[in-house]
Amino acid sequence: MADPRLERLADVVVNYSAAVQPGDLVVLEATPLAAPLVRETYRRVLAAGGHPEVRIAVDGVAEALLDDGNDAQLGWVSPARIEQIEHADVRIVFESEYNTRSLSDADPARQALVQRARKRLGDRLFERAAAGELRWLVTLWPTQAAAQEAGMSLGEYEDFVFRAGFLDRDDPAAAWREFGERLDGLAEWLGRARELRVVADGTDLRLGVGGRTWVASSGHENFPDGDIFTGPVETSVNGEIAFSFPAAFGGRVIEGVRLRFEAGEVVEASARRGGDFLQEMLALDDGARRVGEFAFGLNDAITEFTLNTLFDEKIGGTVHLALGKSYPETGGQNTSALHWDLVTDLRVGSEVYADGEVVYRDGRFLDLP
Amino acid sequence: MTDPRIERLADLVVNYSIELTEDQVFRIDGFAIAEPLALAIYRAALRAGARPYTNLSLDGLAEILVAEGSDDQIIYLSPVQWAEIEELDALVTIWSETNTKSFTRSDETKHGALIAAQRKLSNRRWERIAKGELRWCGTLHPTHAHAQDAAMSLADYEAFFFGACHTDKDDPASHWQEVSHTLQARADDLASVQELRIVGPGTDLRVGVGGRTWIPADGRYNMPDGEVFTSPVETETEGEIRYTFPAIFQGREVEDVRLRFAGGSVVAAESSRGQAYLRQLLDLDAGARILGEVAFGLNYEIDRFTRNILLDEKIGGTMHLALGAAFQQAGGKNSSALHWDMICDLREEGEVYADGELVWKAGQFLEAAPVAVAAARG
Repeated sequence: MADPRLERLADVVVNYSAAVQPGDLVVLEATPLAAPLVRETYRRVLAAGGHPEVRIAVDGVAEALLDDGNDAQLGWVSPARIEQIEHADVRIVFESEYNTRSLSDADPARQALVQRARKRLGDRLFERAAAGELRWLVTLWPTQAAAQEAGMSLGEYEDFVFRAGFLDRDDPAAAWREFGERLDGLAEWLGRARELRVVADGTDLRLGVGGRTWVASSGHENFPDGDIFTGPVETSVNGEIAFSFPAAFGGRVIEGVRLRFEAGEVVEASARRGGDFLQEMLALDDGARRVGEFAFGLNDAITEFTLNTLFDEKIGGTVHLALGKSYPETGGQNTSALHWDLVTDLRVGSEVYADGEVVYRDGRFLDLP
Repeated sequence: MTDPRIERLADLVVNYSIELTEDQVFRIDGFAIAEPLALAIYRAALRAGARPYTNLSLDGLAEILVAEGSDDQIIYLSPVQWAEIEELDALVTIWSETNTKSFTRSDETKHGALIAAQRKLSNRRWERIAKGELRWCGTLHPTHAHAQDAAMSLADYEAFFFGACHTDKDDPASHWQEVSHTLQARADDLASVQELRIVGPGTDLRVGVGGRTWIPADGRYNMPDGEVFTSPVETETEGEIRYTFPAIFQGREVEDVRLRFAGGSVVAAESSRGQAYLRQLLDLDAGARILGEVAFGLNYEIDRFTRNILLDEKIGGTMHLALGAAFQQAGGKNSSALHWDMICDLREEGEVYADGELVWKAGQFLEAAPVAVAAARG
């Protein structure tokens, strides 16, 4: 018998997150490891009246391209990717990796080339999403590689993943709706603040957020989900921040990242491990040195760090900021081929001030609306 | 490490079959189970300087669509698929089933609707191939399902399959170049023939081929390959034929098919199993009772029937005569939604006469084709 949590995941993804409508072209992307979830989701899309189109990624293709591709090949984007972004009504990506570290030895400059080429895809996706023409969703199917990254057995990791998505509950969609209402209230309340100051070990950072919109992430574009985010005023970020969690990005891990900002730009950057890659990413383009997103992680069903941004950035009691591209719906204006979420733990010895007043301490908002 | 036979197959398909060149947009189609070959082909295409990308699907989805989809969903063709077909310079299809019988219990009407809808896409693909705008090759990734159909272990089936492609040896491309010369010479030799008479157990059939072009199938469109074929004159098939191997169409088998032709059309059809299906296919449309293809299977590495048309139609020493759609490039005019290859084993007691002269006996042409002439030209 199939794990009932798998069926609930497929159901929530199709009927709550993506809210598939009759006639929708629904593109599903995954590796072969996610086959059970892809089949179940395919079924649900049909039942919802949609047209599912499945693309299975081939393990090793990314590595092969980075190893053997010439510059023209690295900078090329397939018609499948372009046409999908152009025609899909819904795009669902199932993260389902064989090996989370397979790109560790790849040349960062070549990775940057690939990323720059794919920027216009991301831009077009967000453009269509902002126009209400396309819904997109990233979720995860638990694999041994992801479990290994988290330092768990597959069974333990499945429990972790499904718990984070409230899939251990009878009616996950109802739980997400309720949680979403709480996040909406918080987002509205934060919308009144002009400046945030984050203070913690190695961190004293000021961000201007006046006039920007806080958006609640309640399981529609990421699943699981649970944060509220905005795009800070581009020139307003000052001070320094130390990220307590390692950052997994581009198939490698960077540890002990510290950044110092002046007038919105990174002026100093260091990392205990992966410093070269950090510098390469910061040099990607003009927008890569600016903050595109600042967010509070609020999902208390995620307590553990697992080296996967999809989960880590939602850990209740954390904040994350992303270097690079901002989300237009926040009012953010930064553009970049980069969007790199860096997460830091605020559950111990931290405070956040809104316009001078303490509003958050040790991972909790003090005065929840 | 990748199986070197897979590496060689990938290299052969990219550089010999498709002759992929720099900057060409190249899609690799298949099922997830074909990942190792898909990746090897992707790598070979990168080395050729092309722009490859993979397009793998997952087994079991089409079955779900037929079982659970509405009529609209079953016949839906995505704008993404239409757009991609126009942008490709080259395409490889990797056949790789995980279950060759998965549609056995599907609703025939719904399954038929799916096939008919998909044919619209493949018709456009064939149109671009015929115009020379798109290069295509179909090959296979050995799976347990294919091995099971052949009643072999996977290891034995792999040895059989890669042997048929000559990728179990170094430099398969030069083998196929030689095959190409030999088949071209054979095709040239057959060009002047007006009528073939095929004689075997239960078979005495005359097929008019005058004025038609014989085409060597030398590994460009299929890998493995190895046949020469043409499309017979539509009104000039007379007599009877008994197909020794089961005739398979879309996974369903009809056994011991016996057909009688008069004036080019099937006038009587019998079988020992699957008679209703045989009649249904013959009645599909006006062209379904007329031969669209006659061919000699000449790949002698393929020495057994394995229930896969890619391989079966090339079995050295067989002939296949297909009902339905003809090949325009051969001069054929018959059109039909059917193209049903049926294979006749002539290895034991078969004889073929060309304009009255015995040219083929017991699965072999009696005289070697004039290779030297072809080689000089080629």
